[in-house]
Amino acid sequence: MRWTARTRTGIACAAVAMVFTVYSARLVHLQVTKHQEYSQLAAEKHTMRKVLHARRGLIFDRNGELLASNLPVSTVVADASHIKNPAALAAVAAPFLEMDEKELGEKLGSGRKYIVLRREVTEEKTLALGKALQEGNFRGIYFEPDAVRIYPNGQMLGHVLGFMDHEGNGIQGIELTMEKYLRGQDGYRYIEHDRTGREIMLYRGQEEPPKNGRNVRLTIDMGLQSILEEELDAAFRDLKPEMAVGILADPVTGEILAMANRPCFDPNQPGDAKPEQMKNRAIIDMVEPGSTFKIVVAAGALNEGTIKESTMIYCENGSFAYGGRILRDHHGYGSMNVHDILVKSSNIGSAKMALMMGDTKYYEYVRRFGFGERSGIELPGEIPGLVHPPHRWDKLTITRMPMGQSVAVTPLQITMGMSVIANGGQLMTPQIVRSVEDSGGGEIVDKPPKVAREVIPRKTARYISEALSGVVGDGGTAQLAKVAGFTVAGKTGTAQKVSPAGGYAQGKYVVSFVGYMPEENPRFVCLVMVDDAKIASGLNYGGLVAAPIFSRIGERAARYLDLVPVLRAEASAPLALRERKDERTN
Amino acid sequence: MNTNRRKQVNPVHLSSLLRWLLVALFMGASGLFFVYMKNQQFALAEEIRQVERRISNVRSQNETLLARVTELSSRRALQQRIAEGFISMKPIQDNVIARLTPPAQAAQDGVLRTAFNERSRQ
Repeated sequence: MRWTARTRTGIACAAVAMVFTVYSARLVHLQVTKHQEYSQLAAEKHTMRKVLHARRGLIFDRNGELLASNLPVSTVVADASHIKNPAALAAVAAPFLEMDEKELGEKLGSGRKYIVLRREVTEEKTLALGKALQEGNFRGIYFEPDAVRIYPNGQMLGHVLGFMDHEGNGIQGIELTMEKYLRGQDGYRYIEHDRTGREIMLYRGQEEPPKNGRNVRLTIDMGLQSILEEELDAAFRDLKPEMAVGILADPVTGEILAMANRPCFDPNQPGDAKPEQMKNRAIIDMVEPGSTFKIVVAAGALNEGTIKESTMIYCENGSFAYGGRILRDHHGYGSMNVHDILVKSSNIGSAKMALMMGDTKYYEYVRRFGFGERSGIELPGEIPGLVHPPHRWDKLTITRMPMGQSVAVTPLQITMGMSVIANGGQLMTPQIVRSVEDSGGGEIVDKPPKVAREVIPRKTARYISEALSGVVGDGGTAQLAKVAGFTVAGKTGTAQKVSPAGGYAQGKYVVSFVGYMPEENPRFVCLVMVDDAKIASGLNYGGLVAAPIFSRIGERAARYLDLVPVLRAEASAPLALRERKDERTN
Repeated sequence: MNTNRRKQVNPVHLSSLLRWLLVALFMGASGLFFVYMKNQQFALAEEIRQVERRISNVRSQNETLLARVTELSSRRALQQRIAEGFISMKPIQDNVIARLTPPAQAAQDGVLRTAFNERSRQ
C-alpha cells in the first residue's frame, strides 16, 4: 500500500470516527441502557420524600373548653458528614440542647449521616439554636418538626382522655378509641436538595398535602367534672378509701357529663403513674352493687304483674330461712309493700319478690337493665360484668342477687340502670363522644342519643321513682343525700368486698349511692362509689359515706346548672356522721 | 503602470453579514434570556422557600402561644390561682339572682339555700 496523502487522511478519519463511535456507544450505554439504574441512583442521591406531618385533632368538652391540644416541638438531628469542626459546633449547640459538650462532640464527630441529638426541643430553643448556628456559619445540625400532646387540665379527666405513646398513637381513653379521627393523615412532598441538604425549590416534585386530624367534642361538661373531681378528692382525702368512682350522666340522652376515679394520674406524665392509678374503674372494675340492685327486682316484679303496688310482702321480722341459710334485714320488718321495701331496703322483701318472679323472668330483667353486657361507651377496655344465667345458679342465688350479691357489675352499668328509672323506662346507650368536627367546627359525625331498649313502661318507672324519693326522705336509708330545695331520688348500696382469696373480706365494704335530681324532671343521675373507706365499720354504709358526697355534688351541680329550687329549704342541718351511728342504713 | 489591470475587489456582503449577525445576536440574546429567566426562577423559588419557612415558623409560634394560653387559662391553672389568692372569687348569693320563677324561701331565716351539706363536711 502506498502511503499517499489520501490514504493517510483516510486512516486518520477512520481512527477519529472509531474513537467517536466508542464514545457514542458508551454514551448510548449510559443514557439508554443504564438510564433507569442511573436516574434512580441520582434520584436517591438528590431526591427525597419529605413527610408533611398532619396535626392531631383537638379534644373539647361539650362547651368548647379545650381538653387536649398540641405543642409544636422539634427533633434536633445531625448529619456528621456535613460537619467540618465537631468540637466548635458542639461548643455552640450544647447549651441549647442541654447536653454535655464532650458527649455532643463525640456524636458529631462520629461521621454518621443521621444522629438524633434531642427530641421534644421547644420552639423557643429551636429558634435560638438556629440563629446561633447561622451566626457561626455552622452546618450539619437540622430540625425536624414534631409535636407533643398536652392536657392543660392535668389529672382532671385523665382516665377519660387517655394518653399517647412515643410514636404518637393513642393508647388509652378517647385518644385510643377516637384514634382514626384524631390522627389525620400525613402528607408528602418529593424534593430535590443540593449537597448541603437545602431544598432546591425549582425541582419540587409531586405533593400531597397533609389531612389534619378531626376535632372531637365530648359530652363531658368541665364545670360538672370539676365539681365531681373536687368532691371525690375531698372524700379520698378524708376517708382514705382504696378507690372512689363518680359518674354524672344525663338520664334522658345517656350522655356522660362527668366521670372521675381516684386514684388518678396525670396524662402529661403517664410514665410516672402506677398501673392501678391508670385504671378507669368506672368501666373496667367489677363490683357487687349491693342494694342499688334492688330497683331491678322491684321494677321487674311490678311490670310482670307478679305483685301490685298494694301487694303486702311479709318480711319475716328480719330473719328468713331459705336454702339452708338465714337471710337477714338490718331491722325486723313485718309486711311491707314494694314502696316500703325499697325505702327500708329490705333484703328479705327483695328476695321474696325475686322468688315470686322466678329465676328466668328475674334474669331477663337483670339483662334488660343492661347488666352482663358492655354498654358500648366509646372508651376502651369496658367489661360486661358477670351475670350468670339461671342454669348456673345455686339455690341461694335467687335470694342473693336481688340484694346485689352473686352478681358483678361496673359502676357505669349501675348509673345507666338508675337512668332507666329516671327517664321513664328506657335504657340509653351511654355516650361520651358528642360529635366529630372539622377544623372549622362543621360536624362530620354527629352522635344522637341512642335508645338501647325499652325496659319498663313509664308508669312502672314513675312508681319506682316515687319510692326512690322516699329513700332520701324521712325514714329512708339515704337522708344525707338530700339537697335542700330539690326533690332527690336514689338508692344506697353497701356491699361486702369480695376477697381475692375467695369469699368476702371481713370489715371491708364497697358503699355507694346512685340517685338523680330533680326527681320529677331529672337533669342528672349521679353515682358515688367508695371502696373500703377507712372509717369505723359501724359507719361504713352507703347512706352515711356516699350519700353526703352525692348531696354536695348535687348542691353544686344544681347551682351550676341553675336549677330553680321547687321545695322549701329545710332549716335544720343534717346530723353529723357520727351522730347517725345509731341510724345504720344499708 | 498597467492601466488595464483590473482592480481586485472583495466586497463585503453587508446584508448577509447582517443576517448572520442577527441570527447570532438572537441566539445570544435567547441564551442570555434563558439564563436570566432561570436565575429569576431560582430567586423566586428561594423567596417562596423563605416565605414558606416564615409561615411555618409563625404557625409554630402561634400554636406554641395557643398551647401556652390554653395552659394558663385552663381550669386547673385558674383554680390554682384562686387557691393561691391571686384571683379572688365570691359565689353569687341566691338573693342577688333575679329569677323569672321566684324560688321558695327557707322557713326560719328567710334565706334560700339550695343545699345544707357544707357544714356536714367540717
